[in-house]
Amino acid sequence: MQITFDQVSHIYGKGTPFERVALQDISLTIPSGSFVGIIGQTGSGKSTLIQHLNGLLAPSSGRILLEDVVITPSKRLPHAQRRDIGLVFQYPEHQLFEETVAKDVAYGPLNFDLPEAMVESRVRESLEVVGLDYESIKDRSPFHLSGGQMRRVAIAGVLAMQPKVLVLDEPTAGLDPAGRKAILEGIHRIHVEQGLTTLLVTHSMEEAARYADYLLVMAGGQVVLQGKPDEIFMQGERLRALSLDVPETVAFVSSLNQLLPGEANLQSSLYREEDLIAHLLERLSVPKEG
Amino acid sequence: MLQNIAIGQYVPGKSFLHRSDPRSKLLFIILFATLVFLANNAISYAILVGFTLLTAVLSRLSLSYILKSLKPVWILIVFTVILHIFITKGGAVYYQLGWFTIEENGVRQAIFISLRLSLLVLMSSLLTLTTSPIDLTEGLERLLGPFGRVGVPVHDIALMMSIALRFIPTLMEETDKIIKAQTARGANFTSGSLVRRAKSLIPIAIPLFISAFRRAEELALAMEARGYRGGVGRTRLNKLSFSWRDASVAIVGVVLTLVIGWWRA
Repeated sequence: MQITFDQVSHIYGKGTPFERVALQDISLTIPSGSFVGIIGQTGSGKSTLIQHLNGLLAPSSGRILLEDVVITPSKRLPHAQRRDIGLVFQYPEHQLFEETVAKDVAYGPLNFDLPEAMVESRVRESLEVVGLDYESIKDRSPFHLSGGQMRRVAIAGVLAMQPKVLVLDEPTAGLDPAGRKAILEGIHRIHVEQGLTTLLVTHSMEEAARYADYLLVMAGGQVVLQGKPDEIFMQGERLRALSLDVPETVAFVSSLNQLLPGEANLQSSLYREEDLIAHLLERLSVPKEG
Repeated sequence: MLQNIAIGQYVPGKSFLHRSDPRSKLLFIILFATLVFLANNAISYAILVGFTLLTAVLSRLSLSYILKSLKPVWILIVFTVILHIFITKGGAVYYQLGWFTIEENGVRQAIFISLRLSLLVLMSSLLTLTTSPIDLTEGLERLLGPFGRVGVPVHDIALMMSIALRFIPTLMEETDKIIKAQTARGANFTSGSLVRRAKSLIPIAIPLFISAFRRAEELALAMEARGYRGGVGRTRLNKLSFSWRDASVAIVGVVLTLVIGWWRA
């Protein structure tokens, strides 16, 4: 699903002493099927931006196009269309409420009046996507799980609606490295398998480098940089000025390049850890014959 | 969604009202409430309305923002107005339709009671709009201080109050977040039968309770970790002190009492 923002602004608390401009004149296009990383400091407007996607916030001015559905300050997103946009909030485990895991995951699909038989299979599938075993977890109380498991159940609750666009607001905050990887790998897998359009808000440049094929950098309510990851990472100075940094892989490549003669320089497209390792191994391996 | 509800949320500032001592403001509110109930004719109400407007101007906050504090009570006001117009009888008959009449006393009471409610709400919102919760509870603690000697746990009451005040915005924010999260999962709070709508509140109430308990536990731990052991022996960084402002608040209070006492019927 293609997403277009056309000069969107959002002002909180308009007309009160607490008035605050959260988004300022944002225009961007996210092609269908892309995996977009949204990076920026706390308070840069990331969360406000993504809440516009399924009509939780209406723009103060400008318009948003979700394929052919238009959202304007006066025209909200119809209820049925919400299902297409799966929004996973920060700390989504705080929204769990049901007696059992299976019931909680089924909450979303049931709200959109799907038949029960279909709901059960979706619950099973989505729990398995996030790496939980359906049979052993379905009847447990979500409040007796570990933090990481609760997070996964909550994400499964959104996946069970089978959205076409998946938006995740820092889905790995506060998790251990193994938990982070498991969740992001699961998301990336269904992104590819189901051809989703995915938006990932993150503080981690490493996560952005590993999964995203397009990056938006936000600061002060505006999109200050956007482009392919290698284009963004080339602007290390600019990122540091925004109190952000390049991923360690990119930092490694650029310091290695300073030691290497010009013609042997590594390419800037080697920002994914696996690609970089594979490339280095290939370079370092001694040719067999000889 | 909920951000637009500002029930007397403190707005920092440097006006006369902001800088007055919370104790004198609290005492003045009590006096003012008494005066509002003593007022019983058009002139005394006019004086009180004028005085409230003057105070609102002194706070240097926008009048429309202050008037927003009436939002939560306007249904109550409209309700009392209607009841009084229809039920209170006496005096000249303004309108008659069969057994149904609107009479002078009814209209009079309707106007007075609605003014009374609005003045009380406006004045107390002016207090909370111009006094930070910390000052407010400290003022209260000091005012109630004498009761401590007869075994009233004044410090604990003040602490409970300040914690409650402190967490109102936090819980509102939390509610807003949970409503959004459940809306994103297709919850619908505005349509369906009454039972269905009541049921749709469960996905909000349960997470909210859980997070409130979690916060309470974390707060208790954090307080203990920083050596909290009740009010005994606690010293303060900023001591409250009376100034010329509080003297003038006292004078205004006396003058207002005399004026109302003179003009009321």
